Amino acid sequence: MASRKSNESEREVGSSTGHEPVFVMSMETLGEEKNSNTSSEPTDIRGRKFPLPVDSEHKAKTIKIYSFAAPHMQTFHLSWFSFMICFFSTFAAPPLMPVIRDNLNLTKADVGNSGIASVSGSIISRLLMGTICDLVGPRYGCAILMMLTAPAVFCMPLVSTVTGFILVRFCIGFALATFVSCQFWMSSMFNSKIVGLANGTAAGWGNLGGGITQLVMPLVYGLIRHIGAENYTAWRLAFFVPGVIQTFMGLLVLTVGQDLPDGNYAELKRSGDKVKDSFQRVLWNAVSNYRMYIFALTYGYCFGVELTVDNIIAEYFYDRFDLNLQTAGIIASTFGLMNIVARPLGGVLSDLVARRFGMRGRLWNLWIIQTLGGVLCIVLGISGNLTSAIVVMLIFSFFVQAACGATFGIIPFISRRSLGVISGATGAGGNVGAVVTQALFFMKSTYSTEKGILLMGVMMVCVTMVIFLVYFPQWGGMLCPESKATEEDYYKSEWDELEQTRGLHLASLKFAENAKSERGRRVAPALVSSPEHEIRV
Amino acid sequence: MSAIKIALVLAVALLALVSVAEAGVSFKSLNETLTVQAQIHDRATNMTFFTGLAHVGTDDMVISWALNSSFAGKDARYVNVKIRLCYAPVSQTDRGWRKTKDDLEKDKTCSKGITQQKYVPTGNTTIWRITKDVPGAVYFVRVYAVDALGTELAFGQTTDKAKTINLMEIVPISGRHVSIDIAAAVFSVFSVGSLMGFLGLEAIKQRKANSKAGHFFREAFIDTIRGQSVLREVKII
Repeated sequence: MASRKSNESEREVGSSTGHEPVFVMSMETLGEEKNSNTSSEPTDIRGRKFPLPVDSEHKAKTIKIYSFAAPHMQTFHLSWFSFMICFFSTFAAPPLMPVIRDNLNLTKADVGNSGIASVSGSIISRLLMGTICDLVGPRYGCAILMMLTAPAVFCMPLVSTVTGFILVRFCIGFALATFVSCQFWMSSMFNSKIVGLANGTAAGWGNLGGGITQLVMPLVYGLIRHIGAENYTAWRLAFFVPGVIQTFMGLLVLTVGQDLPDGNYAELKRSGDKVKDSFQRVLWNAVSNYRMYIFALTYGYCFGVELTVDNIIAEYFYDRFDLNLQTAGIIASTFGLMNIVARPLGGVLSDLVARRFGMRGRLWNLWIIQTLGGVLCIVLGISGNLTSAIVVMLIFSFFVQAACGATFGIIPFISRRSLGVISGATGAGGNVGAVVTQALFFMKSTYSTEKGILLMGVMMVCVTMVIFLVYFPQWGGMLCPESKATEEDYYKSEWDELEQTRGLHLASLKFAENAKSERGRRVAPALVSSPEHEIRV
Repeated sequence: MSAIKIALVLAVALLALVSVAEAGVSFKSLNETLTVQAQIHDRATNMTFFTGLAHVGTDDMVISWALNSSFAGKDARYVNVKIRLCYAPVSQTDRGWRKTKDDLEKDKTCSKGITQQKYVPTGNTTIWRITKDVPGAVYFVRVYAVDALGTELAFGQTTDKAKTINLMEIVPISGRHVSIDIAAAVFSVFSVGSLMGFLGLEAIKQRKANSKAGHFFREAFIDTIRGQSVLREVKII
């Protein structure tokens, strides 16, 4: 009887492009079956003990940042560093743009187009990466992507036309899909209570690449010039740095990394049948949920703005304040470097507010942070003095990146069944926002760059207002209180009558029980078991 | 909130790098008191011409300037001259970083400096080997007469007010070298090749592992068949 019950809950569903939640739920019961006879320290299939405390499926229950021990912490570091280096490569051209635009005789529209190209490739690749990770594992997904986009980075030294430049930036941009493999890998290695922190930290530190590149590329360029190369040769040689590191990381991931705490996909035998959810139903469930569109749109105006600023900020400081390449790069890098703390803090703030005010608090928190980000963007456009521009930019970067973290504090609660699709759509919405803002404000010569920044801030404030439209029947919205509906009603409604008779909705009910914490103080503390950390990217 | 503290400390530290920008001289206030001529000297053919193509690294620019006789006596404060290479309007379109502005502190038209010479009313000539960092664009030459502090007092340029005549086009280097091309190709092939090699190796290992398992199952299957035929003989089944 017990095994039959576990078989039923084993038919976990929600298979979709994100895929982490499926993996979490089905492997949970699998692990219990496997380890029913272990009473001593848990070991992997080769009999080695785990350095961190693990749960029944050998996922780590804590995270030790300073450790590199296999498999959990090693995976954490491999994963975020790979994502970081892909960000580094994607945004390696912007800090050197003053040299590149003279070498290739680019116009403002050309520079703008290349910026758009750099973020649009990953819209598709991020959507595909989820499926790839599901099929062959995050280790292969990450390594294959990195080693296949490395030749694009090596092609950058060869470009001599506008078209070539735009095409190469487009191809390099595919590498940003390592975000998905990074999150997927974290979800396979870390327990659901801590996966939110692991994912948020890995995502934040990965985004750092956009900042580090603004610092490092001009320095590498300066060094190569110092050795004696001409400036138009020096910037080309500088691109070998991200290319080589990317190839090296790909090899490292292949040789040293492993998909799961116990080993690699190929080594482990997956016993039991995992009944897949119907992709069509999952997709329909996501597409018919209006909240997906709202958050995809608003994410476009926090993460999208972050990507746009990564593309334009070094050139902006170089041109407006007459700084040299290295100084402009240092200042521009501080924007991306704020990611070390800003993005995780956004998620933490969301959780803190939710303890008292529940989901309504989370919505208000996101709206306030993102609107403040928009206001600061407007102020940045007006700042004509270098010091004030730097200070404003720093505070602006904090709010924009915190808004990204806060968004993903809400996403897990929109849908249980289609979490993967909704996460993927939100991420894609981020990139679309980057494309739109660059196309609207940084392409034409009619706007100066500072005016473009100002208008982008205005658009941020306006678009963020759409969060007022979000309403959860069981928790309320920003302005409206909750109705009599319960969490069970909401999550059960994702399944139709037939599916409910087959019991496919049971995992959602479990989630609904945990999601009661989103009521805030209305729920007795005893019932709450910090479920908001359950699945968060 | 320590993030904000760090941010403020960083801002203060960066203050040290900041130089206060003052409003510069207005270009409209300057008189064109100098006459300037620039010629391209093609080393290969040893010909000089006023407008045309110049190649960086090989060709020279011969620039001569003097005080316009109708402005004689107005040059009391001139100490030096700054000779600069300036973008023609055709090279400025859609490129905000080369925009012409009246405030000379903010003006980006003449961002490339050629040289500086002492001012003499009879003028001077300079020969400039066009350096390899000059971008490919259409140019004219402007000479500013400056005082001891470097403030612009007057100017002269090779072209007219509308910047349409006597323009020179400079042909740049591409920055590419055969060695870079080869290195890029080698690294790319290495990246893709090592990936394919690795995947191939793992596939072979898998096949070996599977074939061992396959062999096991084949044996088991054959045993089952044999078992069934024995049982049939003995008429149990």
